Amino acid sequence: MEIVESIRADAAAVLTDGRAKLVIGYRDRGDRRMPVFILDPKQADLLVYDAECKQNLAAYLRKSELKKFRPVAIVARPAVIRSLILLHAESQLKPEEIVILTVGDKEYHGIMDLKSAAALLNEKYKTIAPDAGTLALVRKLAAMTADERSAFWTAEFAKCTRCYACRAACPMCYCSRCIVEKNVPQWISTAAAGHGNYAWNIIRAFHLAGRCSECGACEAACPQGIPLMLLNIEVGQRVLEEFGAKSGYDPDAKPVIGSWSPDDKEEFIK
Amino acid sequence: MAETEAKTAETTKTFEPRIVAFVCNWCTYAGADLAGTSRLQYAPNVRIIKLPCTGRIDPLFILKALEGGADGVLVSGCHPGDCHYTSGNFHARRRWAIFRKLLDFTGIDPQRLHFSWVSAAEGAKFADLINKVTDEIRKAGPFEGANPARRRPWK
Repeated sequence: MEIVESIRADAAAVLTDGRAKLVIGYRDRGDRRMPVFILDPKQADLLVYDAECKQNLAAYLRKSELKKFRPVAIVARPAVIRSLILLHAESQLKPEEIVILTVGDKEYHGIMDLKSAAALLNEKYKTIAPDAGTLALVRKLAAMTADERSAFWTAEFAKCTRCYACRAACPMCYCSRCIVEKNVPQWISTAAAGHGNYAWNIIRAFHLAGRCSECGACEAACPQGIPLMLLNIEVGQRVLEEFGAKSGYDPDAKPVIGSWSPDDKEEFIK
Repeated sequence: MAETEAKTAETTKTFEPRIVAFVCNWCTYAGADLAGTSRLQYAPNVRIIKLPCTGRIDPLFILKALEGGADGVLVSGCHPGDCHYTSGNFHARRRWAIFRKLLDFTGIDPQRLHFSWVSAAEGAKFADLINKVTDEIRKAGPFEGANPARRRPWK
């Protein structure tokens, strides 16, 4: 309760003194939480915050409709701060365009800029993700045979309708023209038959290699309940193992895929 | 006559894998060319697709090959430091390191996915590589049922 009141007070404050033109936060819609866009300090009372607020609001920052409202204040938990750092590292967000209303695990950290939020993240939330249960499931899958894994994922991907809600929910899926829209040739099949499902889900996970904040918004958005975080966490673990990089902690880090080192491991190349 | 028939029956019984090889124009393709002009024999199971550089090999190419029914994929280019475009193969190496693990995690046996550096002077290495890769994928068997990427008729 206390967190919510502090968020409301700070949102009203940043709008009143002009530090932000817009506040993006969560509002209560009975059975679910919805994003709310607040321009008027009087509306700050609409804001709520609880564990149900799973959507990653950083996904709105790249929308062209919101550009004229910069600087934008955003209600952000640690995973969302990682997204902001990643957007900054990829030159998609300038520090002066963002004000962060930082929410921690059980406390509210107040109004921050990107630099102080990054410092807080590295100090207090070094181990926010991956979630232990999901990690255990990743390990269980990794211990199976290739055929068992194939059967598991074939069943999971068969549910996919290619609605691309996972893409819409993700702050890092900001390409103005996504690979699924490129149709000369048609890289990802749009046929009703299921064979485009594998390609789509694999390429989505791969395009997020080294740039996933592990916020879980894609999985929460999936109407078919496909465990997308298993893929994201597996890729994150491999990136950590191969290149020692944990995405979203260093505002000046180079993108993992897109940079290279002559000393990269290559024991798999004969 | 009977002898020929018996021979045909035997060859249809042994499984011949379909392998797609994505190779770079400057090293591995020239290496394959050298293998040919040197009259080196190697397994005929491989379909070579020439690209300007390994850096041009999008992971989607590999997925497309598997979707279309390839039993295995080989990717090959210049040795590190020898890239015609300076760093294309370094970029590719990073991509593959993650992508092959992702494919493994989603049920594509790493036995079916091979990576190699073959220079323009290594005709013998190329012939040898194709034979080895073909053997390994032949051992893995047809990739029909277990292939999660494969095109299937809509039910």
